[in-house]
Amino acid sequence: MALLERNEWYDIARDTNWTPTYVSQENLFPPTMSDPYQIPIDEWETFDEPYKVSFREYVRTQREKDGSAYSVKAALSRSRFYDQACEGWASVLKLHYGTVALTEYQACQFQARMVRFGPSPSMRNMATFGMLDEMRHAQLQLFFPHELVHRDRQYDWAHEAAHTNNWAVIGGRHAMDDIMMCRDAVTGSLMVSFAFETGLTNLQMIGLSTDAANMGDFTFSNLITSIQSDEARHAQLGTPTIEIMVRNGYKEDAQKILDIAFWRVWRLFSVSVGIPMDYYIPLEQRHMSFKEFMHEWVNRQYVRQVEDLGLAKPWYWQHFLDDIENHHHCQQGGIWSWRPTVWWNPPGAVGPKERQWLEKKYPGWNDSYGTYWDVITENLLADREEKTHPECVPIICNMCQIPISNRPGKAWKARPYQFEHEGRRYNFCTEPCRWIFTTDPNRYKDHETIVDRMYSGEIQPPDLDGVLKYMGIGVVSEGGRDGYNYQWIEGFRSAAAE
Amino acid sequence: MANDSNELKPLKTWSHLAGQRRRPSEYEIVSTNLLWSTDGDMPWALSPNIDMNKWYLKYRNQSPLKHEDWDAFRDPDELVYRTYNIKQDGQETYVDGLLDEHNRNEHDTGYGKDWLECLAKSYTPARYLIHTMQMGSAYLVQMVPASTIENCAMLQAADQLRWISRISYRTKELQKSFANLDFGGQERNRWEKDPSWQGFRKLMERTLVTYDWAEHFVALNLIAKPAIDEAFIRQLGKASRRNGDMLLALLNDAQMLDSERSRRWTKALVEFALNIEGNRTILEEWIKKWEPLGDSAIELYCDGLPDSPEASSEAKIAVKEWRQSIGL
Ligand SMILES: [Fe+2]
Ligand SMILES: [Fe+2]
Ligand SMILES: [Zn+2]
Repeated sequence: MALLERNEWYDIARDTNWTPTYVSQENLFPPTMSDPYQIPIDEWETFDEPYKVSFREYVRTQREKDGSAYSVKAALSRSRFYDQACEGWASVLKLHYGTVALTEYQACQFQARMVRFGPSPSMRNMATFGMLDEMRHAQLQLFFPHELVHRDRQYDWAHEAAHTNNWAVIGGRHAMDDIMMCRDAVTGSLMVSFAFETGLTNLQMIGLSTDAANMGDFTFSNLITSIQSDEARHAQLGTPTIEIMVRNGYKEDAQKILDIAFWRVWRLFSVSVGIPMDYYIPLEQRHMSFKEFMHEWVNRQYVRQVEDLGLAKPWYWQHFLDDIENHHHCQQGGIWSWRPTVWWNPPGAVGPKERQWLEKKYPGWNDSYGTYWDVITENLLADREEKTHPECVPIICNMCQIPISNRPGKAWKARPYQFEHEGRRYNFCTEPCRWIFTTDPNRYKDHETIVDRMYSGEIQPPDLDGVLKYMGIGVVSEGGRDGYNYQWIEGFRSAAAE
Repeated sequence: MANDSNELKPLKTWSHLAGQRRRPSEYEIVSTNLLWSTDGDMPWALSPNIDMNKWYLKYRNQSPLKHEDWDAFRDPDELVYRTYNIKQDGQETYVDGLLDEHNRNEHDTGYGKDWLECLAKSYTPARYLIHTMQMGSAYLVQMVPASTIENCAMLQAADQLRWISRISYRTKELQKSFANLDFGGQERNRWEKDPSWQGFRKLMERTLVTYDWAEHFVALNLIAKPAIDEAFIRQLGKASRRNGDMLLALLNDAQMLDSERSRRWTKALVEFALNIEGNRTILEEWIKKWEPLGDSAIELYCDGLPDSPEASSEAKIAVKEWRQSIGL
């Protein structure tokens, strides 16, 4: 065919800035929606996305990708697979779809913000594809759990979770509203395209896809690999934005923006991916520990990428490395103990073999987290299931909205980091969460944690049933129970008998 | 653990669709009730006085156009992402074929001087106009109160990028064929200065800064878009047929297919809004306010088309008739 190559006409299509005269430039691109740094327009016009695609190529490629993702043949084997899938894996799916599907959909609105208010025409065009990508991701990740909803009402959370006040959802919304929905186009592209999509979505998507294939869930494995191929393309919106900010004297702002977003997304992902990788996936199918994955796929790459751009790794890097060793272990203990409050069935799954594996991957696990599970195991062996449900109310971090907890053990103490602002005391899980609050107290000060809402009277009646109902438990579906019906303690019983 | 679990019956579909008497379509499963910022009084989970909460409260939640259940809106085409790609892949293959055939027959070399001037003045600068429509559609995407409306706006934004790409493609071809005419260089100046574009530029700049979502919708989809359809797509298409430029005529016909889809959901949304008392007055007042800008954009543009004395009045009548046909 005698058609022009894309590169021949591409620059014309992204030469669409003009000088408005019927309205002011400032009204057309309000700084709070567009570019609060007010970097000159000709600087923005140097924006050059590394990966280029035309509309023509986009619809063809995406049609092909969807053709395999939605294949009818796969639907049949899928149905056989779910007939026999274990509850540990089902929990991975329920957690994933509940936290991801609608987040992808809100991302359409964020991409649209870059299409409307992005100061560079290239950014506006690229984000148009990004917006369509996110529409795809939302629709795929609603279509597949919908096939499962007749098996188990907990899959209804794929659609409903974001409409509830479940504590896990409050955490996700707070972070996403902070870094994605309530940012101008420029700041948002650093936070979402770079810190989130370049830095951490590998974790969500690649991290789980190998485990999914090992489980035999090829649909899910293909699905998230396919989604990741879109992410890898539109994530590239971040790099040129950072280059332009750095070149124009906004290096410190860029650094701060990335550091805020990276931490916020990390705290979510360590729960939504770390726990599945190290606890929910049966031992035989685990391909890597979460920590190994973080070091191999996230840490080294992220540091290299920020340094290539003339920035530094976050100031809290040491806290972060520490968090990789601890946070998801703490939360596995917390979520399992509070299992009636979640929409999946978290397996305790710390039998003798699993504990050996955990000790090998995380030296010292037995003497710390192991002691927490010792008490639970003893209670279960002695038929005191009711004692495995805690009675105290946890303290919630005023930033990440996750219960504050620390590594248990001989020197165990749960110590919140605090900050006073306008007469109110705020609690934080870690120094970075506290730091984020101090960067803009006005932004965060009015938000109430789930526990604040229990005390303020918003949750009625303020008892356990009232709280569960408020969180959507018993409304959307039943809450969680142990995913393996406590079978994982049997190894200890037989060890004791010998 | 005491809860109401025994009342939770097994589901055949999402709980929020379970009340329907028929089996939900793929469209409904993946498109309905997806916004979390419309659930409570405060759109976003940060302090009420941050800019973004104030923006959404003012321009979305407090818009004068009201409906108690925007989520009940349905796209008459029931498009989902994957069907959009299937359709547009087919359409783009068709357009590739047109361009290929034209190119192989060296049709560009057959254009006369006057027609080339028309292309430079009234065709290639349109990438700026269509880009403003892309931006305006993307504003709707982030501000509309329901995901089913948002999806329509997203695909409308994508359509605009499609045509910016094709116009840019043709601009490059013309540049290669006629190096002396500054195709690819002169368009911005025409868009900013040529009288024939100033009506559209004024209309689009004003539309883009109209931040109330519903008024933005009126200005964009009830005034600007039909004006572009009738003046740029239809009347320029007519002129191209008269001047022997069958390629442009067919390209614009293909673009009109996208516009017709936009008109279908626009009509559906207007009808949906008109079910609520009080909305008619609001829509009609906005149309009264914006119509002169739309008409003037049509006039200035059409008066610049060669041999088209009726273009302006035809286009103005066509947009009015269309608005009447949808009850306005
Ligand atoms: Fe995505
Ligand atoms: Fe994304
Ligand atoms: Zn925290």
